[in-house]
Amino acid sequence: MGRFNYRLVAHIVGMMLIYLAGAMALPLSVSLLCHDGAQFALTFSALFTLMIGLLLRNFGGRGAAFEFHESEAAWITMAVWIAIPLCGTLPYLLTGAASSFTDAAFESFSGFTTTGSSVMELPEELPEGLLVYRAFTQWIGGLGLILFVVAILRKLGIGAGILYESEFSGTQQRKLHPRLARSVQRMWGTYIWLTAVLLTLLILTGMRPADALCTAFSTVSTGGFVTHSSGLSQLSNGSLMVVTAFMLLSGINLSVLFRLFTLRWRKIGPCEELVWYLGLFAAAAAVCCAAFLKSGNRLADSVLYSLFHIASTMSTCGFYLPQLPHWPLPVSAITFVLIIIGASAGSTGGGIKLRRIIILLRYTRNYFTRMVHPQAVVRVKVDNRIVPEVYVNKVFAFVFLYIAGIAIGAFALTLCGCTIPDAVCMASANISNLGPSPLLNNLGGALDYALLPEVAKWLLTLLMLAGRIELFALISIFSPAYWRQTT
Amino acid sequence: MVEGSLMLLCLIPALHFGDGTGSAIAVSGLFTVVVGMLLFVRFHRAVTLANKRMAYLLVVLIWAALSLFGTLPFLTTGTARSFADAFFESMSGITSTGATIFSAVEWLPSSILLWRSMTQWFGGYGIVLLVLAIVPSLGINKHSLYTAEASGADNTGKQTSTMGATLRQTLGVYIFLTAAFVTAYWKSGLHVWDAVNLTFTNISSGGFSIYNNSLERLTHFQQYITAFAMLLSGINFTMLYNLLVFRWDRMKNKLDQVSAYLALYLAAALLVMLGLRFAMGYSWGDAVRCGVVQTISVLTTTGSLAADTSTWWVPITFLFVMLSIVGGMAGSTTGGLKVMRMLILGRNVRKILRDQLHPHAVNPVRLNGTPVSAQIITNVMVIFMTFVMVIFFGTLALVLCGIDATEAIGATIACLTGYGPGLGLSGGFGCYASFTPAAKGVCTLLMLLGRLECLTILILFTRSFWRR
Repeated sequence: MGRFNYRLVAHIVGMMLIYLAGAMALPLSVSLLCHDGAQFALTFSALFTLMIGLLLRNFGGRGAAFEFHESEAAWITMAVWIAIPLCGTLPYLLTGAASSFTDAAFESFSGFTTTGSSVMELPEELPEGLLVYRAFTQWIGGLGLILFVVAILRKLGIGAGILYESEFSGTQQRKLHPRLARSVQRMWGTYIWLTAVLLTLLILTGMRPADALCTAFSTVSTGGFVTHSSGLSQLSNGSLMVVTAFMLLSGINLSVLFRLFTLRWRKIGPCEELVWYLGLFAAAAAVCCAAFLKSGNRLADSVLYSLFHIASTMSTCGFYLPQLPHWPLPVSAITFVLIIIGASAGSTGGGIKLRRIIILLRYTRNYFTRMVHPQAVVRVKVDNRIVPEVYVNKVFAFVFLYIAGIAIGAFALTLCGCTIPDAVCMASANISNLGPSPLLNNLGGALDYALLPEVAKWLLTLLMLAGRIELFALISIFSPAYWRQTT
Repeated sequence: MVEGSLMLLCLIPALHFGDGTGSAIAVSGLFTVVVGMLLFVRFHRAVTLANKRMAYLLVVLIWAALSLFGTLPFLTTGTARSFADAFFESMSGITSTGATIFSAVEWLPSSILLWRSMTQWFGGYGIVLLVLAIVPSLGINKHSLYTAEASGADNTGKQTSTMGATLRQTLGVYIFLTAAFVTAYWKSGLHVWDAVNLTFTNISSGGFSIYNNSLERLTHFQQYITAFAMLLSGINFTMLYNLLVFRWDRMKNKLDQVSAYLALYLAAALLVMLGLRFAMGYSWGDAVRCGVVQTISVLTTTGSLAADTSTWWVPITFLFVMLSIVGGMAGSTTGGLKVMRMLILGRNVRKILRDQLHPHAVNPVRLNGTPVSAQIITNVMVIFMTFVMVIFFGTLALVLCGIDATEAIGATIACLTGYGPGLGLSGGFGCYASFTPAAKGVCTLLMLLGRLECLTILILFTRSFWRR
């Protein structure tokens, strides 16, 4: 075991920062077009980020060897996921939109992890450029920053696979293409294509282009930042339907979407997760719709709202409609389950992921069979393929960690003065990267988060990050074995 | 054998009621005996424990039947207003949960009080028996749990005799502890009547009280005695036996669990003490006493209260909720998931991290130095998941019955783990009287589910169970 490859970490982080600086050009151009007063702040942030990136890459990362060990993969993942959002706080700080560093960090991490929890109480008063930047951070984080690394760093070779694994620990996806780089390209292609189509549709249904751009970024990345304090209630019904459809699509595995759109339907093969996803969506929406009808809404409204709400929750997008201040009990209950289950594996959404839930339920069913017939040989199958025991174990461990994370997070939140149900909802909404949770007092709008003490905001930030990188990478850097390995 | 124990359980209370207060109780006692006899005569040849299905069904039926017949004293004396109330109270006793629907227990006739305490005492030992009978299916390695010998070599081929010995040992320990604590309470100045009731409910980690304000009325010394009783009730009984007969060399195979149990207890008690002292302004003396007594009461899922916990700082109550989910050691009278399972779950995460680091190394999960098989790990995981799902659906059901969210979470976890007092109205010195009958029904079911470790009951609802 050689020395810890600091140079590679510096190189990768540096590269990412340079790309981030490039990405800031988009909000900057919006800002220049609208003359919103954020031009200077955005320009300076971009330049500063570029400078740090160049420094890191050219001095810290000079002559980096492009090979690394599993333990370093966790560090790279963590370094990227901490450095990028930290530099991403600059625009919030320089425009004065965030009153403290804590707020800026909360907003930035919430963006990159596609959570969408916000402390900005009146987003409509922020400069347009900053709003676009905020939405764009979600879009960048949507596919996972590591996927971005894999896409831009061709030199990584086999290391790319290890990195890829460290971020998406164990959803056991079949790759789109035998070559990782190729399949990552395809995923990015699908993603960009989805965004473009949604943007066009939103503009066609009568949205202002700047709002449409923000909403498109928020929807496709399943982030959930909104440009107005009243959520999406400004939207026409047509736009709402479009957003609903695209939220639903964003919760589906991108590989499946790619094959769906490129008409390679045969290659999709059996896709039980998709069937479950759609089935769960239909069932939950039906119950929701019935509950809304019973509480006195019109039929058309009930159907639209329930579809919108369930799509928003299942994809962990987190858009909300303040038209419905009082949630019927069954709806809240269903919402809570869906928050924890989350979207499909390989999508931009968060949560435990449906695929893991399927494996879990099947294993439990088999377990009952074995209780009666101890000698029976029963295996868990998903999509007609046997899931190895080792992998089942990993799924269970993941869910255990997830629940432990919610419990510990909620405990810490009660220390900050939250009531128990609020603490549980907040912890689960943030670890699942949902963000604004309709179960909270103010529908999880900025009021719920802005009023929290600083410690609680940092805690939620940590939960968002933990949920986004699927726990193991975060936990491993706290594990003594990893420290022993790297020093 | 199981039928026999049923008879035993039915006979002793019945004999006891002969010298109780009302003829009503004598009638219900007699009725129970008669039905028990009839069942015994009718079925005692038909039962073979070789059939696993039959075993699960029997266990559930026995617990359900005991609770059903346990309602008779409440109903015949008219102390419970409805059947739902009586069933709730009876189930709470048999499962040694300690949740009560009586807002003022001091008004109850003394025979009813003793009946409540007795059900907990039987229920407490019942669970030790139960785990012994069906433990392999519940994700606990029976050998590491009950066999007194440290290595497996001593008991190969002697399964039945080991089982019998274990039964005798655990029962002996239970009776010895009961006698010891009755004496201790008596010596400390309590009336024998109070001493017996207190011992019955605390050594079984039940938590019914004969006073309206639980332990608060006792002297501080007596509260510490109670804490010690609860602490012991959370330890594996075979281990206690070996401790009592000075066979310390045989205790090695449970050192991991017992040290985790004690460490968890100390850490939690310290946190609670600090919370009480600094966030709630208790004096150091009160903070230490309440911390020591209340934390062990929660960890062993007993539910005796040193103070009115419903008014305590929210984080402490939340910590209590989580501790009650962990519970005491496997093979004790406590509820919850058990320390051993949490240990396995935690170490499994560590194992996975190591696997990622060294994909080709063999990193077994070890407990007391011996590797735990992958089978057992996944079994433990299934139990954990089922537990979480039951908590979730239980809360959901209670919310749909019109209970508010905090209260629903508290009541579900309190009933499922066998702790007893929930959060809000049902917490502290409060009671479950304000719940609707439907909500009481849900809680009753949760108690049974929790005591029989969920799977034993849930399996009855699977297709593979009924398929021939």
